[in-house]
Amino acid sequence: MRRILTVLCALLGVFASTRATAQEIQLTGPLAGAPAVRQLRLHRQGRVEIAPTVSFTLLDEYQRTILPGGRLTYNLTDWLAIGVWGAFGAVKMPTDLTDRIQSITAMRREPVPPDGRGEPNDPPDNISINNLRTMSSIGPQFKNQLGQIDFIVSPQVTLIPFRGKLSIFQKIFVDTDAYVFGGPAIVGLSERETCEANCFDAFNRQSRTAIAPTFGLGFNFYLAKFLALGLEWRGIPFAWNTGGFDTRGANPDGRFPDNKVNDQDREFKFNQVLSVNLGVYIPAKPKSSE
Amino acid sequence: MNQARIGLLVIAAMIAAPSFAHAQKKKKPAAKPAPAAPAVPPSAPPVDAAAAGVAPPAGQPTEIDADAPAGAAPTDPAAGAAEPPTPEPGDLGDICKIDPAACPTMNLAEEAKKDLKEQMYAVQQIYALRRHRFEIQPAWNAITMNDQFVSHPGPVVALNFYVTNVLAVGVSGGYYFNNDSTFNFQTRRAARVAVPLTEYQWQAALNFTYVPIYGKFAGFSDFIFHYDAYVVGGVGAISTRPIAVVDPDNRSFAWDKPKIAFNAGIGLRIFFNRWFAGTLEVRDYIFIDRLEATAIAPGEGATDSGTWYGEQKLTNNVQAQLGVSIFLPFAWEYRLPK
Repeated sequence: MRRILTVLCALLGVFASTRATAQEIQLTGPLAGAPAVRQLRLHRQGRVEIAPTVSFTLLDEYQRTILPGGRLTYNLTDWLAIGVWGAFGAVKMPTDLTDRIQSITAMRREPVPPDGRGEPNDPPDNISINNLRTMSSIGPQFKNQLGQIDFIVSPQVTLIPFRGKLSIFQKIFVDTDAYVFGGPAIVGLSERETCEANCFDAFNRQSRTAIAPTFGLGFNFYLAKFLALGLEWRGIPFAWNTGGFDTRGANPDGRFPDNKVNDQDREFKFNQVLSVNLGVYIPAKPKSSE
Repeated sequence: MNQARIGLLVIAAMIAAPSFAHAQKKKKPAAKPAPAAPAVPPSAPPVDAAAAGVAPPAGQPTEIDADAPAGAAPTDPAAGAAEPPTPEPGDLGDICKIDPAACPTMNLAEEAKKDLKEQMYAVQQIYALRRHRFEIQPAWNAITMNDQFVSHPGPVVALNFYVTNVLAVGVSGGYYFNNDSTFNFQTRRAARVAVPLTEYQWQAALNFTYVPIYGKFAGFSDFIFHYDAYVVGGVGAISTRPIAVVDPDNRSFAWDKPKIAFNAGIGLRIFFNRWFAGTLEVRDYIFIDRLEATAIAPGEGATDSGTWYGEQKLTNNVQAQLGVSIFLPFAWEYRLPK
C-alpha cells in the first residue's frame, strides 16, 4: 500500500510539474488574465476553406486506391469548424499479392493448362482439390472481382485545439495548427455480386453503399494568409469483402465457406486513408486576436 | 508582519519600475529628419552619445532610440547639431585628458549610420536545450505501416547523446512480437495461394539524429507546449526467420543469423516539461530478407532444410512507434541571457 502511494505521489509530482513548467503563464502581476498569445492570426475564424485533396489508402490487401477529391469547410470559430469531404476512387492499383494470385490461379480455369503442366480443369466436374475449393472464390480475372472504393462522402465536425508555429533550420517560419475531426462516412463500394448458388460462374461486381464512422487528425501549414498545405490521416472502419472470396457461412459457427457469396463473407477492416490537401481560404485576409 | 509589508512595497516598486524591464518598449514618435551631424575630425575632442545627436535632459540617463533615422537631429532645438558640444566633466573627454592613448578616435556619427548586425532569433530561448544531454527514449512499435500480412509490435529503446543542439549520436534496439493476420489464412484457404511470411526477433542500430524543425503550439489558447521534429538514420542488424506456411509439416525455421539493416525515419517530439516529452516516430528498416521457398522439393528433399529457403528480397519494414523521451540531466543553464 505504501509503495503504491509512493508511486502515485511520484506520478502526481511529474504531472504537476508538467503543468507548471509547460504552461509558464504569469498568474500574477501585470500579465494576470492576459491571453496566452496576443495578435494571433486567426487563420480560420469566419473563413471558408476550399481544399482540393488527394488521398491514398494504406495497408491494402489486394488493391490500392488513389482518391482525388475536395473538402469544403466553414470555420465557425478558430477552433471549431463544420464541413464536408468527398473523394472519388479514380485510380486502382492491384498489389503484388493480386498479381501472384492471378498468375497462379489463371491456369486452373483453362481446360488444358497453357504450359501443359498443372491441373486440367473442367468445372464443375473437376476432381482437383485445389480447383474445387477455389471454384467459388477465384474468377478468371482475379482483379475484376476485388472489392473497391468508388467514392467517399463525409460530413464532418473539426476541432482545432492546437495553434502554433514551427521553424525549419531557424530560417523558415510557418504558422500551423493541429486538428481532429469526425463524422459519418457514406462509402460507395463495388463488391463481388451476391450469389446463393452456382457461384463458380458469378464474379461480376455490384454496387452498394456502406455507412461508417470516420475520424482522424491532421496538420495545416499556412504558407500564406490565404493558403495552407495540409496532411491528414483518416480511419474508416467498416466490413466489406475485399477479395471477393467465399470465406464464411457454413458450420461450425459460420466460419467455413458455404459456396455462397453474400454479406457473411464481409470482413471487418480498419480502413485507413492518408490525404494531402491545399486549402484556399476566403476571405483572403485573416483577422487577428487582440 | 513587517516583512510582509516590506515585501509588498518591493513588489509595488517593481511594478512601478521604469519600462526597461518590458520586453518591447512603446515607440516614441519619430524625430523630425534634419541634416546629419557633421563629421567630427579625429583630432576633435571625443564625444559621447549626446554629442552624436541625442541630448539627454540634465540629470537623466542617456537614451538611444535605435528606431530613429540615422543622424537624426536632437529633438531639442536648443541643442545645436552643427556646433560640437563642450565635453562635460565625467564624460569621455576626461579619459582623453588622463590618457591620450586611450582616447577613442571613432566618429560616432559615422558609426551610427552603419547597419546593425544584431542577430535576432524568432525563438529567443529554446524551451528545451538538447546540447550535451542524454536522451533515453523508450517506445512501443505500435503500428506496422506497410505489412498487411504480419504486424510486428514490440518495445524499442533508444539512447542518444546530443553533440550539438540539433545533432545526436546514439544506439537503439528493439524486440518484436509477431501477429500473423487472419487475412493470410483466408487467402490461403480461398485461393490456395501462400505468401511467404517473415517474423522478426530483434534489431539494434547505431543512429544519427538531426533536429531541423522546432516549434510551439498553443492548446485551446490557454497553454503552450513546445515540440520539435527530427530525422533519424543509421545502420545495424536485424534477426528474422520465415514463418512456415508453404509446407509447415516439414519446415521449421530457426532464427537466421542477423542481417545488416539500414534505417531512416522521422519523428515528432512534444515537450511536457524541459526533460520529459512524448514522441511519435515513423522509421523504415531496410534489409535483405530470405523468404520461404514456395516450391516443395519432391520426396525426401522436402525435409532437407537446404531446400526450404527461396528468393532473397529487399524488405522495408515501416514502423510507427509511440514513446517518451527523458532528457538527462534534467536542468541546464542557458549560455546567453534571455
